[in-house]
Amino acid sequence: MANAKVIPLEEGWNEIKAKALDKLQNILNEDMKTGQTNLFGPKEYVQIYTTCYDMCTQRSPYNWSRELYQRHGETIEQYLNDYVLPALKDKPRQGSNILLTELQHRWKNHQIMNKWLKKFFTYLDRYYVKHHSLPTLSQAGLRSFRTHIYDVIKADTTQAILSLINDEREGKIIDKTLVKSIVELYEGMGMGTLDAYTTDLENPLLESTREHYARKREEWINDSTPDYMIKAEGALREESDRVAEYLNSSSESKILKVLEDEILERVEMVLLEKETSGCRALLQNDKSEDLNRMYRLFQRLENGLVPIASIVETFITEVGMEEVQRRQARVDGEKDKNDDPSFIKALIGLHDKYLAVVKNDFAGHSLFQKALKNAFVEVMNTNVGQFTNAELMSTYCDRILKSGGEKLSEAEIEESLDKIVQLFTYLTDKDMFAEIYRNQLAKRLLASRSSEDAEKLMIAKLKVQCGTQFTSKMEGMLSDLAVGGQQRQEFEQRIRQEKIPLDFSVLVLTTGFWPSYKSPEVTLTDEMQKCMNIFRDWHDQKHQKRKLQWIMTQGNATVRGTFGKKTYELMVVTLQAVVLDALNDGVTLGYEELAQRLNLEGDMLKPTLHSLSCGKYKVITKTPAGNKINNTDTFTANAKFTSNMRKVRIPMASLDSSFSTKKVEEDRTIAIEAAIVRIMKARKTLQHQQLLSEVLAQLSFFNPNPRVVKKRIEALIDREYLERSAENTGVYNYLA
Amino acid sequence: MGGTRGRSKKRAANTDDMWNSKSKKKSHAAALEGTAEKLFQELLDGAAEQQPEEEIDTEQLNMEGIAMLGEKLGLDVETDLRIIVLLWKTGASKPGTLTKTEFMEACKNGTLPIENGWSSVKEMLPRLDIGFLTGNEFKDFYKFCFQFNRQGTHKTLDKELVVALLPMVLKDRVPSDRLESFCDFLTSMEGKQEQQYNRITLDQWASFWDFCVECEDLGAYDQSSSAWPVLIDEYVEYMEEKLKK
Repeated sequence: MANAKVIPLEEGWNEIKAKALDKLQNILNEDMKTGQTNLFGPKEYVQIYTTCYDMCTQRSPYNWSRELYQRHGETIEQYLNDYVLPALKDKPRQGSNILLTELQHRWKNHQIMNKWLKKFFTYLDRYYVKHHSLPTLSQAGLRSFRTHIYDVIKADTTQAILSLINDEREGKIIDKTLVKSIVELYEGMGMGTLDAYTTDLENPLLESTREHYARKREEWINDSTPDYMIKAEGALREESDRVAEYLNSSSESKILKVLEDEILERVEMVLLEKETSGCRALLQNDKSEDLNRMYRLFQRLENGLVPIASIVETFITEVGMEEVQRRQARVDGEKDKNDDPSFIKALIGLHDKYLAVVKNDFAGHSLFQKALKNAFVEVMNTNVGQFTNAELMSTYCDRILKSGGEKLSEAEIEESLDKIVQLFTYLTDKDMFAEIYRNQLAKRLLASRSSEDAEKLMIAKLKVQCGTQFTSKMEGMLSDLAVGGQQRQEFEQRIRQEKIPLDFSVLVLTTGFWPSYKSPEVTLTDEMQKCMNIFRDWHDQKHQKRKLQWIMTQGNATVRGTFGKKTYELMVVTLQAVVLDALNDGVTLGYEELAQRLNLEGDMLKPTLHSLSCGKYKVITKTPAGNKINNTDTFTANAKFTSNMRKVRIPMASLDSSFSTKKVEEDRTIAIEAAIVRIMKARKTLQHQQLLSEVLAQLSFFNPNPRVVKKRIEALIDREYLERSAENTGVYNYLA
Repeated sequence: MGGTRGRSKKRAANTDDMWNSKSKKKSHAAALEGTAEKLFQELLDGAAEQQPEEEIDTEQLNMEGIAMLGEKLGLDVETDLRIIVLLWKTGASKPGTLTKTEFMEACKNGTLPIENGWSSVKEMLPRLDIGFLTGNEFKDFYKFCFQFNRQGTHKTLDKELVVALLPMVLKDRVPSDRLESFCDFLTSMEGKQEQQYNRITLDQWASFWDFCVECEDLGAYDQSSSAWPVLIDEYVEYMEEKLKK
């Protein structure tokens, strides 16, 4: 191109202006027909591009890059000022839609114009712009639009958009596509950032949203809480949809935050505490759906669930306490029994119900789980009447497990046990429950009155809750019985050799696993004594290191008694059997004689005689008759005794108290001291408060008063396990 | 006690300077031992006279022997604490007892000055006033009071004894209203609370002194965080109740 003609600036510019710029302007002004994308054919375009290229590649001083870049800008500016601005100027007065439609139209045109101008002068972008670090052609075009149009008109357009949005909020139909395209314009004006959108549109929008919903709040607050919540939820959904439809997605969280502030946070307590439709009322009327909505709405707020959880806790505590009061009324009315299944059943029912509420309505949120727990801890540890809830619960278990009690199917038994164990977890005095439970378990096991599988199941459940230590004794009891079963067969073979006229079997129980029983040294019949001796020899030979102790109060016997011409089988306990034997063959004996012969104290002998002479089956006649055994009474077999049944079970009151609180206290003392020593052994030196809290943390089966722990610390100081530090009286040292 | 020991060393040094002879020193020590034996025997004899039917252990002084010691020194054993301070200084290790070994050792090391018989001991009596004891010395002495007054194998003191002993030991160190109210409190526990405070443990005894030192203002007492024995907690409760009335 060395000999090519140099193009002078004006000549070249005029060519470009005529062929490209003027034509483009005309097309735009004449409202280009839709779908017409190729405004310039390739040939036309190449020509213009070449001219521009030539003008930019000519050697200095004929290089017109700078001039062309400048004129490109001026062209756009001029067009915007001459045509676009005047077209928009009077629109705001004609209404939002008209303004926005015009702007949308002009913006589209500008984008087309910008696109083509960039194409024509694209060579500038490649070298001149890069070399001088100037805005690219399209950037320059956008900036121009921003300065000359957007900045001038934005206050009006924002207002127009807001008014359309408010129209839509009021239920009118608006042109969403139009708004969406204007929103895109705002987004574009940030030049790659969202600044323009945020400052010019979003902030005013948030402000107007706040105002709108503040008004709505005042309007809705007179509704019932459920109605309010439905509206609030609807509003949140609408706003969320709106953002999705035509706003920038970054606005969603901000707008929703405004709503949460205005329609939720500000009135939360008012809504929750509405007398007839607040949280309490919803709980009272089991309004599951509304409660769930309440949860969904207020979980949006930071700490929004806290007041709800607190209401739930109070409510559950109250309904629980109502049951306690109902029990109180029953106790006041009649004599208290350790068996009050209706109380336990009611509590299980309540627990089921509110566990479901927490799970379903409150999505199992931890705050509500805690509320349920706190409420039940309070209820379960409120004892009224003579018997503690621990005892009532254990007795309820007894009913379920005892054959012939509640008569439940296996699945029902398991379900009931599951539920009682749930309640059990709320009990503070778990050790008390264990002690009572063990007593009742012992009774069931010794009388073979329950299914081994069910017993094992329950123990396994307790073990899951409280660990091995908690159930080791109970498991020991079961295993005693299992081992006993095998041994019995062996022993039966042994005793058969002796030709004893008795069926005799022994149950060997491990001391410590079982409750402690009284063991009077009663004089047995010769046959019994002989059997026992055989067993003792056999057992001693097998287990040389074990010591046998006979517990006569727990034995059973079946004796055959002939009264007149009729013979009965009497099912009695060992003590009854011994008394019957003493009165065999129609002997008459005084109380003192009996006591001496049998070597029994009054506390054993009197209840035994009472059961035989004053109970339902009077197999013994007492002289004089009466309902109380006196030391001067005489006894003889009742020859006139009759019964419809051939087999008669003669019941007798238990000689052992059901359990002892003292035992539990002792165990606690040991447990607390053990914990203190364990902790101090590891830590050597510890501050009082720290020791106290660690001890309380270690004791999971009961919750001792700090003062009780302190007494144990003092006892350990006296026994020289610990000392008070010489420097600080609030610090203990471990003495190894 | 440190002071006493220092003095005895000094005396030994002087002797060395004057005679510079080991045999002299030995003979002095022998003479001292003779006097000590004599004095101890006096006490044993005196005690035996008081309780003629009892068999006397010649290796130790029992309470009668100690009363005898008080008599020799012109001290009223019932009310004068100096006898207990003296026993504490002599290092009596068994309750209600002073062994011959302890007595002899105290004479030898100068804790008990006996050069001129009982009169030498009498001379030191004014120094035994408990007012002279420093904080730690007093604390040690205070514990000694408990230990010495124990009966044989009992680990605790009878409450009546404590109520009698406390004012004697603490009268100049603890405000009298605190002392009186505490003794009243102990007495008022009679029959209450399953009689758990009929006997006082060493820990309770020792803690009361620390408590008096550390907690002058009962209003600032925080029961929930305190490590004081429950007895002290209950004393504070008792005082609060009294205030309310």
